[in-house]
Amino acid sequence: MKKKLLSIILCVAMFAVMLSGCGSSDTDKKPEANNNGGSGDGDGLVYWSMWEETEPQAIAIKESIDKFTKDTGIKVSVEFKGRTGIREGLQPALDAGTNIDVFDEDIDRVNKTWTKYLLDLETYVKDSDYEKTANPILMAACREAAGGSLKSLPYQPNIFAFFCNEDIFKEAGVDKLPTTWDELLAACEKIKAIGKTPITCDDAYITCMFGYHMSRLLGAAKAEEVVKNGEWDNEAVMATAKAYEELASKGYFSPNVEGNVWPAGQNTELALGEAAMYLNGSWLPNEVKGTAGEDFNWGCFSYPAVEGGTDGTEAANFGGQVFAINAKSKKADDAYKLISYLTKGEADALITEKSIGIPADTSNTEWPEIMANAGVKEVMDSLTTRYSWAAGAEANANMTPIIKENFLKLCGGSMTAQEFVDALKNAGK
Amino acid sequence: MKKNKTMIILFLAPAVLMFCIIFLYPIIRTLCMSFFKIDGVTDAVSHWKFVGIGNYTDLINTKLFQISMGNLTKIWLFGGLIVMCLALLFAVILTSGIRFKKTFRAIIYMPNVVSAVALATMWLQYVYSPRFGLLKSVFETLHLDALAKIQWLDTDHKFGALLIAYCFGMVGYHMLIFCSGIERIGADYYEAATLDGANKWNQFRFITLPLLKGVIKTNITMWSVSSVGFFLWSQLFSTVTSDTATITPMVYMYSMIFGAGNSITERNAGLGAAVGVVLSICVVVIFWICNKTLKDDDLEF
Repeated sequence: MKKKLLSIILCVAMFAVMLSGCGSSDTDKKPEANNNGGSGDGDGLVYWSMWEETEPQAIAIKESIDKFTKDTGIKVSVEFKGRTGIREGLQPALDAGTNIDVFDEDIDRVNKTWTKYLLDLETYVKDSDYEKTANPILMAACREAAGGSLKSLPYQPNIFAFFCNEDIFKEAGVDKLPTTWDELLAACEKIKAIGKTPITCDDAYITCMFGYHMSRLLGAAKAEEVVKNGEWDNEAVMATAKAYEELASKGYFSPNVEGNVWPAGQNTELALGEAAMYLNGSWLPNEVKGTAGEDFNWGCFSYPAVEGGTDGTEAANFGGQVFAINAKSKKADDAYKLISYLTKGEADALITEKSIGIPADTSNTEWPEIMANAGVKEVMDSLTTRYSWAAGAEANANMTPIIKENFLKLCGGSMTAQEFVDALKNAGK
Repeated sequence: MKKNKTMIILFLAPAVLMFCIIFLYPIIRTLCMSFFKIDGVTDAVSHWKFVGIGNYTDLINTKLFQISMGNLTKIWLFGGLIVMCLALLFAVILTSGIRFKKTFRAIIYMPNVVSAVALATMWLQYVYSPRFGLLKSVFETLHLDALAKIQWLDTDHKFGALLIAYCFGMVGYHMLIFCSGIERIGADYYEAATLDGANKWNQFRFITLPLLKGVIKTNITMWSVSSVGFFLWSQLFSTVTSDTATITPMVYMYSMIFGAGNSITERNAGLGAAVGVVLSICVVVIFWICNKTLKDDDLEF
């Protein structure tokens, strides 16, 4: 009998140990809560961030949140998850009912992929007259991405355009940055003549060139359809391939373009002043500032218009990161206070300064010197049509690596336009 | 006896229960998921849409998945041959009584201690660089201009570049397993063989190799498991979007579950689960073949 009792006690103890091992302990949570100024499970907001703790954006956000807590008394527990952390972990966490009030990520991912978790912000925005100093094209982009209603607030806007070394352009005798394809070809010729590389790129962004050219010809919606449905017989595919075949055959691309694994092209060829231009996001000057140095003379121009095309230089991929509030948040009012605080005034100015970015608040008229000198504002103000990422070239996950491989070969000159189109046809959809 | 049975059940219950929750349930759930179209990996079952074997037929007909399986096969086979041969060679040399054994062992094992991200950066931005790379400098010094001009990271050479970089890091790990296997073999066998006039090669061929069967089996299994899970190196060699040269089924699975690159692409966790099932079957088949072909239970030493 004693033995039996002992066995049962041991069994119960074993279960208890196992279950307690599975559970989370309070002692784990407390230090984090103290560090971040909020408990995360009661009296404060919980914010899951897409940034790594050491990035300039994270540093600026953290500083602004500390100030927000000081100003309002609302505590905020921040968890810097990083891009993959948010991408992989947010949805499961929300599904599991984790206490998250605010989160952020790219405008399209938040509004399209996680739309069902978002709180509608229209009333909040109207009541606080938020849009008085908000960038109208970004607000429109947020609404469009969420299907018509505003469910996120944009910050750290970006545009995707050609970023260039204006000193090389001037040295080559190109006074005006290109707005048409012919002007681009003429500029490339002059740049090549002074012994510089006109265009470089890295593997990570090469498909954007394909997408932009297709979208210039067809409009973004049709270009995306071509990629999604594998309509490789469309004339625009061949026209795009021919245009890039010409660039390659005339030696306008870097000889290393086929083998440039990001960030080799941007960090060495462009930043060191060997190559003149690179189709990339407005985050580029910040990413290469260490190599490019302060005296790098940045320029920016929208992807040139092509003859007979549907879209002109008024169309580009632009967007930014957005803050959103969990629809199930019990502290939605406080959460709105936080995200409107972070996207306005000093907080917006701080993140703009630290990340050499673009302000989201239109009353922050002072842009970082690099951005202002490069003419990014002029390009951004000229945009009226929004392309999605890579202008639709990466809309089909089954085709992206195949387009990438063959387009790299096309730009490197080891494949002809016809071979490029044939390769896409062989791969199907 | 009856009392004992109750006790057995009582004591086994926690382990069995945990096994069911932690292993059996995810396996069964993944298997079930592979027959459905599911947007988010944690979507409620009520949102799943039954597609039968649709996910599997989609996989078979998708060129990119075929490419990824081809890459995986090449990594497993060629990478396996390179790593196993080098690991065995180093293990035999290190256990042959050379001086500074520990130092050499530490040097060869070193890449396992260094973060894969740091290693990949070294290979990508330094060794293979077409501007100032190690390979370029070495070949230029040797006046092998054709080799010096090769762009190691273009589409045609990227797979080879990836394989070399990956194998470089894996040799040390498998070498240690071989070392422990060889050290287990008694010195008297080699003494006797030496007295009988056997040279080093014959000692290796007729003593070391047969007695290492079990260890070889372990190494092949470990290699297969790590190859099937090939993900990080592929991601590091093709940042943001994947490459045809480096994509593996795990990378494909990730893009199906969480979306590919920066674009918002269609997600299907069911398809991802189907990739998982296919990979598991591959591992089981390899393990079964190993067990059938490499029988080591006939040897006792």
